[in-house]
Amino acid sequence: MSEAHAKSQRQMMIRHRGRGAQVLIYLGKMLRMFIYQNDWKVLPMAALIAGLVGMVIRNRMFLNMEGTIMGAFAMVCVCIWNGCFNSIQVICRERDVIKREHRSGMHISSYIVSHMLYQALLCLAQTVVTLYVTQLVGVQYPWEGLVTPVFALDFMISMFLITYASDMMSLWVSALAKNTTAAMTIMPFVLIFQLVFSGGMLTLPAWTETLTHFTISNPGLKVIAAQADTNSRPYASIASMVSKMRDSEIGGAFTVGQVLDVLQADDNPAVAELRAKELGNAMTLAELKTVLESSQSFDALIKEPLLDGFTLEDALNAMEAAGLLEKYGDMQVGGTVTIGEAVDFLAGSPEMQAQRDQEISVHTTVGKVLDMAGEERVKAFLEEKAAAVSYNPDYDCTEKNITSYWLQLFMFVIAFALLSMITLEFIDKDKR
Amino acid sequence: MLVVRILLTIFARGTSVSDIVISALFMAGIWRIFEKSGIKGWWALIPGAREYQLACCAGRESEGPVYSLASASSIALQVLSLLLSFNSTDVSTIEIMIAIGSMALALVSFIYSVRVYSGLIDVYGVRKRWLWLWVLPYTSFIPALLWGFGKKFQPAWKVEDIRTEMARLATHGSASVMSEGLTVNLTERSATEFFKKKVLLRDIHMAIPQGHMVLLLGGSGAGKTTYLNAINGYEKAKAEVLLNGTDLYKHYKKMQYEVGFVPQSEMMRGKDTVLNTLMDAARLRLPKEVSSEQRKARVNEVMEIFGLLPVKNNLVEKLSGGQKKRLSISMEFISNPSLFILDEPDSGLDGVMARELFEQLRKIADAGKIVIVITHTPDRVIDLFDDVIVLAKDSARTGRLAYYGSIEEARRFFGRDKMEQIVKSVNRKEEGGDGLADEFVMKYAKEVA
Repeated sequence: MSEAHAKSQRQMMIRHRGRGAQVLIYLGKMLRMFIYQNDWKVLPMAALIAGLVGMVIRNRMFLNMEGTIMGAFAMVCVCIWNGCFNSIQVICRERDVIKREHRSGMHISSYIVSHMLYQALLCLAQTVVTLYVTQLVGVQYPWEGLVTPVFALDFMISMFLITYASDMMSLWVSALAKNTTAAMTIMPFVLIFQLVFSGGMLTLPAWTETLTHFTISNPGLKVIAAQADTNSRPYASIASMVSKMRDSEIGGAFTVGQVLDVLQADDNPAVAELRAKELGNAMTLAELKTVLESSQSFDALIKEPLLDGFTLEDALNAMEAAGLLEKYGDMQVGGTVTIGEAVDFLAGSPEMQAQRDQEISVHTTVGKVLDMAGEERVKAFLEEKAAAVSYNPDYDCTEKNITSYWLQLFMFVIAFALLSMITLEFIDKDKR
Repeated sequence: MLVVRILLTIFARGTSVSDIVISALFMAGIWRIFEKSGIKGWWALIPGAREYQLACCAGRESEGPVYSLASASSIALQVLSLLLSFNSTDVSTIEIMIAIGSMALALVSFIYSVRVYSGLIDVYGVRKRWLWLWVLPYTSFIPALLWGFGKKFQPAWKVEDIRTEMARLATHGSASVMSEGLTVNLTERSATEFFKKKVLLRDIHMAIPQGHMVLLLGGSGAGKTTYLNAINGYEKAKAEVLLNGTDLYKHYKKMQYEVGFVPQSEMMRGKDTVLNTLMDAARLRLPKEVSSEQRKARVNEVMEIFGLLPVKNNLVEKLSGGQKKRLSISMEFISNPSLFILDEPDSGLDGVMARELFEQLRKIADAGKIVIVITHTPDRVIDLFDDVIVLAKDSARTGRLAYYGSIEEARRFFGRDKMEQIVKSVNRKEEGGDGLADEFVMKYAKEVA
């Protein structure tokens, strides 16, 4: 056997570094690139973005419902942006180098896993920077966590997973693209898809709702909104809207009949609720007398003859002289009456029937109506109702919800990493 | 029923008889153009396939797949839109999406039609202004009819019948297996593009002894890099490649460290240092059992051989062209491979530096390795080579072996002194060559038979 042939046979027995050892080789290479290839710049960039976004959301997030949703969306955008730009060029910019190294024995799986580890470190650092900077500019984070004892830790896990999933998605785009120009052309479409189909901010047509399942932004938005306890926050913008409308004029003309018809429409739940309300309490006889005496028309009324020149005044004087009013002053007179009963009584009276076609003109401002009804009461009522209408079970701050969103985001990480691996396995099919 | 439904809808939508007549005239003209180019005329009746064949007639085969797909998809979307709107007058979201898609495809179709018809104009040797008639709506039938039926319009060349040419130029043979050296018996290396098989290389058989430095010559597109990729096992062909008696294809995972392939461009990370680049290459290529000290020693040894010690801490991007080449070679040389393949290692180097580099390669060959090198300036270093491989593109556009043997014998075989003259002799006429590829391929096949 010749020496060369023997060498070839020996070569068959030699073992080279396996996948695990190769991961370490590439991880070391990537950490060097962090220093030499200016990958570190993503950290100050993350701080800058967090600062800008933090200044916008600091007076809204965790304070009211709509501000919290908007803040959650802004945070998701920050995470997706950071994640995408971490890795969008990392594979395509060195595609030729990868092909050469693959030819020399590099395992694609080792290369991708080393990227996964390196990018995880980068995303973690960005998440910490983002949280710190937003807290610094005034975003008021709660203290108590739900899954972990500290809210910041819960929130950090969510932000990390959103950033990391986006990072892996970009890694896949980078593996698909043949060069950096192609990758940067695809990137805006991916970002727009993620933001439009997040399913939280824009109302989507029914047929596109399935697409939200393919976005990282969807579970991302849900997990942040859930952690921020969005459903328990008041819906504040409706109150501020009402305040802004104070000077708005309102008015119009309507007939008495129209008013009565509306108030008698029992099939309307709102009217039914109103009709069921009690109209005042029962009075004592003394209270009734005081009310009557304070009325301007009472003076004229008591002079009116009731029977054969006997006036109401005479009757009251006789009762007082007999000590009846003093004796029965505490006696309850009449019962409670509901608005519905009062309306029905009025509607049934012939006088009111005669007035049905009479027009009533009203000209006032929203402010005056608010003053009559009590502005704070109206605002509180509207906030409560708007919050109830905006309630979203996906945003319930429960451990089950949050862990399920974390799992979804983690699945995205694994799926995109696998896709990157499979895509890059075809690198030997590249056209030269 | 579907066809009837579509036709009914077309008429309901206001498609006039004149549209149908114009389309028929266009197809008739294209039918004749295809026949003039040696293609079956009935392809003109099949939308999608028609565009691909037209691209082939225009010598723009690479544009064909996109042009064909865009046209076929555009038609498919139109039919879909017609079907959707058949029972409804409302514009649905899907119809809007289809309309947007159709617009995008129409634009792609238009751009590619300009490219293809420009090529067709070149093939027919007519004025560029004909392009307007080809691409404007409702006028394309005019040039189609005139070119198709006019006797004065003739293509400069026909789309070859590749199968006939391949059969005419078929050769057979095999190289006997060497226990020390490289034995290549390549029957075929093909690629499929747009459902069409293209044979890139065919019938290449040779046995290269150990210690030989071999020059690989051939014009552009002759398949030199394809051949190198096939023999190093990375892009497998229908072939048997044995290195020192061991099948490279069967045992690729183990044998890949026995082959060093230095690509044409540097393909290294510019932001890493020379030392780190070589250390990583050593970790990747050297056996697991090699200790850290042995690895460092090997890296230092290689840096010394290739003169990289003074720049070992420099970033790769800061190196000169020559230093980058040497570093690229060092990365492969680190595992001391038996077969060393270099794709244009002297590109971008001046004569002196190139000479130095080839002298180093000669030393590697003298140490018992096989060194195969592609270079476009072979004559300045020809004295350093033992053998030459000449690849040529035959008339079926397939890379073939026109010669393998010693340098002196090559001069006699081709009747030319200079290697560059040999390349010129086998290059196609339209590339400025002598167009003798088929002749030399057949001559060599007869000599070795």
